[in-house]
Amino acid sequence: MKFIVPALVLIVLAARLRRRRRTTVRAPHAKSDRLRGDVTLVMAREVRERFRGRVFKVTTLFVLLVVAAAIIIPVLRGGKTKIETIGIVGASTSALRATVASSAATVGLSVHLVSESSIDAAKSDLGAGRINAAIVNNRAVLIQSSLAPTDISSGAQFVRTLAENLGIAKAFRDANLSSSQYETITHARTLPITSVQPGSGRSSGRSPTQGTSVIGTVLIFVMLSQYNTWILMGVMEVKSSRVIEVLLSAVRPIQLLTGKVLGIGIVALAQASLIVAFALALSKAVGSNLLHGSAPFVVVSTLVWLVLGYSFYCWVYAAAGSMIERQDQVQSLVLPLSLPMIFGYIMALTGASSGSPSLLLKVLAFLPPTAPFTMPVLVGFGAVTWWAFLVSAAISVLCTVGIARLAATVYRRAILRTGSRVRLREVFN
Amino acid sequence: MGGVGDVERRQSLTYDHRITRFQDPSILGLVAPALQLEDLSRRFGERVALDHLSFEVAAGQVVGFLGPNGAGKTTTMRAIFDLTDLDSGTITWSGTAVDQAQRRRFGYMPEERGLYPSMLVGEQLQYLGKLHGLSPRVAASATATWLERLGLADRADSKVESLSHGNQQRVQLAAALLHGPELLILDEPLAGLDPSGIDVIGDVLAEQARAGCCVLFSSHQLDQVEDLCESVVIIDHGHLVVAGRVDDLATSGPRRLVVRIEGERSASWLDGVAGIEISEVRGGDVRLVLDATVDSNTILELARKTGRVTKFVFERRRLSELFREAVA
Repeated sequence: MKFIVPALVLIVLAARLRRRRRTTVRAPHAKSDRLRGDVTLVMAREVRERFRGRVFKVTTLFVLLVVAAAIIIPVLRGGKTKIETIGIVGASTSALRATVASSAATVGLSVHLVSESSIDAAKSDLGAGRINAAIVNNRAVLIQSSLAPTDISSGAQFVRTLAENLGIAKAFRDANLSSSQYETITHARTLPITSVQPGSGRSSGRSPTQGTSVIGTVLIFVMLSQYNTWILMGVMEVKSSRVIEVLLSAVRPIQLLTGKVLGIGIVALAQASLIVAFALALSKAVGSNLLHGSAPFVVVSTLVWLVLGYSFYCWVYAAAGSMIERQDQVQSLVLPLSLPMIFGYIMALTGASSGSPSLLLKVLAFLPPTAPFTMPVLVGFGAVTWWAFLVSAAISVLCTVGIARLAATVYRRAILRTGSRVRLREVFN
Repeated sequence: MGGVGDVERRQSLTYDHRITRFQDPSILGLVAPALQLEDLSRRFGERVALDHLSFEVAAGQVVGFLGPNGAGKTTTMRAIFDLTDLDSGTITWSGTAVDQAQRRRFGYMPEERGLYPSMLVGEQLQYLGKLHGLSPRVAASATATWLERLGLADRADSKVESLSHGNQQRVQLAAALLHGPELLILDEPLAGLDPSGIDVIGDVLAEQARAGCCVLFSSHQLDQVEDLCESVVIIDHGHLVVAGRVDDLATSGPRRLVVRIEGERSASWLDGVAGIEISEVRGGDVRLVLDATVDSNTILELARKTGRVTKFVFERRRLSELFREAVA
């Protein structure tokens, strides 16, 4: 929230400023209108053909099914392991009971509180299944098994929410209504959730937003892979079918290239928006806590980085597509091009699972090839300020401009060379 | 056409060997030259594709662009559409350097046919028409008109890949014609077509030229070129070898005479005659190439003395002969 709102304000201001400059400084020019018209024509064809294509329909349906499964299955699993009884080790104050009750209400559960004489007794009851969690001296939440990173069931969400709320309550108490109250509250920390049985080494202190950011990262990776393949194959098809000469007799290469990436970009954004809207609607309908806490901002961040990631990679793949014209040449290009994406994706998932953002993750969040995967995870952790988010986005945009220029040069020089695969050194010789 | 200025221009030709080599590159400009290519050069590594190539093409003419494989025809055509970089040279249209706006008014049929295979024929043509500046309504109308004209009216909703080779070729031609181009550049438009397809394309090209369009097309089917074209340009190794009107070229150069004498199967009656070259003796016909100094009446008298002359004809050179001589 703290960085999304300023970011949106800046984008709106920049758009208004640009519009004002266009209307006051430069009069509309027939030639530039014509150029834009050509880009629009190419873009419209691309959008029409993609929407009409079977591949788009099948992949959209497939992703929707996967998303639905990812939302519904944890909820169904969560229904069998609902926390009904919470043990209290130490004093059971009215404030504590209220915090537990409100946390349970947030995820649609009702709880029964029981007093535990000691931590050992609580562990024993957890092991026997008599209680589902225990609060130890208002300082920790004890559960039997560690929470899986992707577990967004109501039971798991309850534990996370409870830990977060107890942390906030503790911060309030610590503040003691003194003059430093505000400062203390802003530094509230979620209490650690400790499991009796050792987990896989991962911290179980995952917030709900981290689960959302993991899903977002997976979606970004899947979608970018798909859209980049569209770009690569689309450019290659134009070259291999030889329609390129007919097209370039009427429009400039840069118009053709821009129209194609914009067209596929629009289709990509439409598909992503559909999937996200579907995911949000479904999670609300089935009572999933996908949108708990600051998760909506993670969703927005995911969409922003999907757009930025597509903007960066689409030019790279378009340039690569212009250098090949046969299916067998695709394989030799796809792997090296995918490596930065795969690296960023793995680092993002590893970082999300570690429970706290590493320095490497923070560095990768500022590198355009890996930022689309790592920055949403940092947002999920709440470990990035709004200005850092904007700086990373600005770096990505600047690099995208440079990459686009380079790609346009490669495209223009390679797209008409037929036969064997065009090498980069041939392009720049 | 064919006025005093034209005669003077033709008279300014110089000859080289047995073929006509025009030193005046504006020989084809019998009417106002429209397309001018001047001093085009292009090198691909060690290979010279264009070597200071210059020629002009006038509006309202169908001009055949000939040359052996690798002569530089396709490179020249691609250069007109800025599809290949030139090392040097200029290309102008009606006196001004060709730019993108002008190219949009040209029509192009590349050597390697290219259309979106899975796109519907009608939609594809409309799309290409709009890229050439037609409004959606005009593009739709032009698409219908040309599909009808080329016998493909019932295939508008078919995918291009479902059409036969010949019909794909017709769609490709329609794509080049949709927007009413001022200049039509066709690279091997007759390749792979059956006789009816060739007739259709021939009719269309003649029609376009009559309407004032400047048509330049390449082909290896020289008989068809001779039938379709008023003028030809022949290049070899990237430079101009021959250019001119087909009629002029066929009748220019050394005179070619065929003589048949009843009962005479050899050319021994010509022994000792200076200034002639016997190019062929077959079936009683003796083919001669006469030097400019030789009077044909001398040959006729000599033939009469030998026997009864049953054939004495000045022969017109076929384009295929011209071509072979030009690129020999």
